Amino acid sequence: MTDMINELRVLCAIDGVSGSEDKVREYILERIKDRAESVTVDALGNIIAFVKGKRSPKNKIMISAHMDEVGFIITHINSDGSLDIAPVGGIDEQVVLGRRIRFGDVCAVIGGKAVHNLSADERKKTVGFDDMSVDIGASSKDEAKKLVSLGETGTFCDEFISFGNGRLCSKAIDDRAGCAIMLRMIDEGVECDTCFAFVVQEEIGLRGSGCAAFAVQPDIALVLETTTAADIPSSSEDMRVCELGKGPVVTFMDRHTIYDKELYKLTFDTAAVNGIPCQTKTRIAGGNDAGAVHTSRSGVRACAISVPCRYLHSASCVADENDIENTYKLAKQLLNRIYDL
Amino acid sequence: MSLNTFELLGGLVEVSGVSGNENNVVEYAKGLLDKYGKTETGVLGSVLCKVGEYYENRPDMLIDAHIDEIGMIVTYITDDGFLKVSGVGGLDNRVLPGQRVKICTDDTVLDGVIVSTPPHLSHGDKNAADIDDICIDTGLTKSEAASKISLGDRVYIANSLERLCGERVTSHALDNRAGCAAVILALDMLDMSKLKYNLCVMLSTQEEVGERGAKTGSFSVKCDKAVIVDVSFAHTKGESVSQCGELGKGAMIGFAPSLSREMSNEMKQTAEENGIPFQIEIMSGKTGTNADVIGVSGCGAKTVTLSVPIKHMHTPAEVVDMTDIENSAKLICAYLERN
Repeated sequence: MTDMINELRVLCAIDGVSGSEDKVREYILERIKDRAESVTVDALGNIIAFVKGKRSPKNKIMISAHMDEVGFIITHINSDGSLDIAPVGGIDEQVVLGRRIRFGDVCAVIGGKAVHNLSADERKKTVGFDDMSVDIGASSKDEAKKLVSLGETGTFCDEFISFGNGRLCSKAIDDRAGCAIMLRMIDEGVECDTCFAFVVQEEIGLRGSGCAAFAVQPDIALVLETTTAADIPSSSEDMRVCELGKGPVVTFMDRHTIYDKELYKLTFDTAAVNGIPCQTKTRIAGGNDAGAVHTSRSGVRACAISVPCRYLHSASCVADENDIENTYKLAKQLLNRIYDL
Repeated sequence: MSLNTFELLGGLVEVSGVSGNENNVVEYAKGLLDKYGKTETGVLGSVLCKVGEYYENRPDMLIDAHIDEIGMIVTYITDDGFLKVSGVGGLDNRVLPGQRVKICTDDTVLDGVIVSTPPHLSHGDKNAADIDDICIDTGLTKSEAASKISLGDRVYIANSLERLCGERVTSHALDNRAGCAAVILALDMLDMSKLKYNLCVMLSTQEEVGERGAKTGSFSVKCDKAVIVDVSFAHTKGESVSQCGELGKGAMIGFAPSLSREMSNEMKQTAEENGIPFQIEIMSGKTGTNADVIGVSGCGAKTVTLSVPIKHMHTPAEVVDMTDIENSAKLICAYLERN
């Protein structure tokens, strides 16, 4: 396992649900404090790190990845000590029931009516957040209130594992993969001056990145992300979006952005020249911080490079180790070609 | 009490034992039972432990807890190297997508992930996955998967025992390692000089697929009376209050037409006499436990159920209160020592 993948393991283990990215931010600030020329944390909690290169480029460049992950927020504490929760970010209810989650150090399980006691119809339906019982083991409201509070956020507690042939499984690979790649790029240093933005609140509507872009005022922005891979048996070829093991994903359009055509082509060309496998996204779906960044101020040229990832927004995001390595390589090579574009 | 409940239970859930493939957990349990009596394994894999001296004039008592757990069984490997599976026991399909699994092969245990369908393919429908639609991502190609995994291998969702608030704990397979733990704790507490029975303990296999291990096991033991220790529903959101016990209020003593009213009453009196907390569980016919087959094994036996209340049964997020396990053990022990 490479140093970058090891760091990804560490990053994924840190809980940082949107709006509560503090611990991820602390980790990253500590990591980059001696490597960046200047580091600022803005009002929303974005980290903007200016890393000096050998010279100033023609274009001001911002690379970003988001620190936040999807999770849950406590909305009510019931008299029997159980909790009501709502999702933070887009979590499909089908991956929530029967799961272990945590609010800080407090472990909780999500359950409901036992399968034995369900009607035939109930057995065939997924359970909505309103009907789930979130149990921390408390038997009264007072007991629960000693351990958790309203508005506290939590997330899945499944550990990071590697399995199969070079596959990684964890919560929060979206988008700690992007964070890990940026940390490696900062460690290795850059050719030209570059702004690295570790942003907040992507999962609840691309909120951090817009402010970061406003502050940085880049000419060109590169977003490092993860994106849904639907290369599963039930999916026909045209519905797969992208596939694991086929390299980083470069997007021409998604729900939030029509990407800069020249940058799109340049990214593929860079991959070809450097022998890096690369694929495009075959569906117009999803979106990422490029949506907020490219509409910042009077507009920013933007491109996104994503790690293909199965079961996104679950406790078990699955990515391929080589895809992450190749995403890093492509980002690094592309950077050198956009400084003076 | 010399055994630590958390450690005992933690050890029991750590070893896999999906129905029909209980060897590992049976061997582990035999290691725990050895110090209380001679153990042997039946044809279907249940472990039997004869405790103490045999006396001609004493009635024969069987204490049973099933040791198997629900899971899945591999039926097919797809061209992409994913596994298709069938359920073993009463699986709750609603909890499957996105779960981590352990694939138990002959040589080793592999990790896998149950596929969850992304929203653009499910179109936001609210239908729970059908077991026929469930696939397991092995991270392997078809040939790699086929070289490591055999059709018929068992798959289960593994969660180590974790503490919740107070004495409550969560894990997979608490149905019925909680019952097994109660039985072993009872043996540990038992004062052999006060034992009123020829005692045999059975940790039985294949309960989840139709009480098969208990059927053959109890035939070979030929008991007069039997206590069946299992889990039963504890109240949680959505459940009916009148049909559930409560966590932390003690073992649930079964009353049912298929059980011995005499034994149920004796059990209740024993609890009252000894100040052991208990709850009453009323069932209207059979019990859905091993008592259904043990009661009619051979020429028949008197049976009673003792159930540890459990939340979210048959999910990897089962919850029990360790005091209920300990109070079940105390009650079994007091019953065995009672005149």
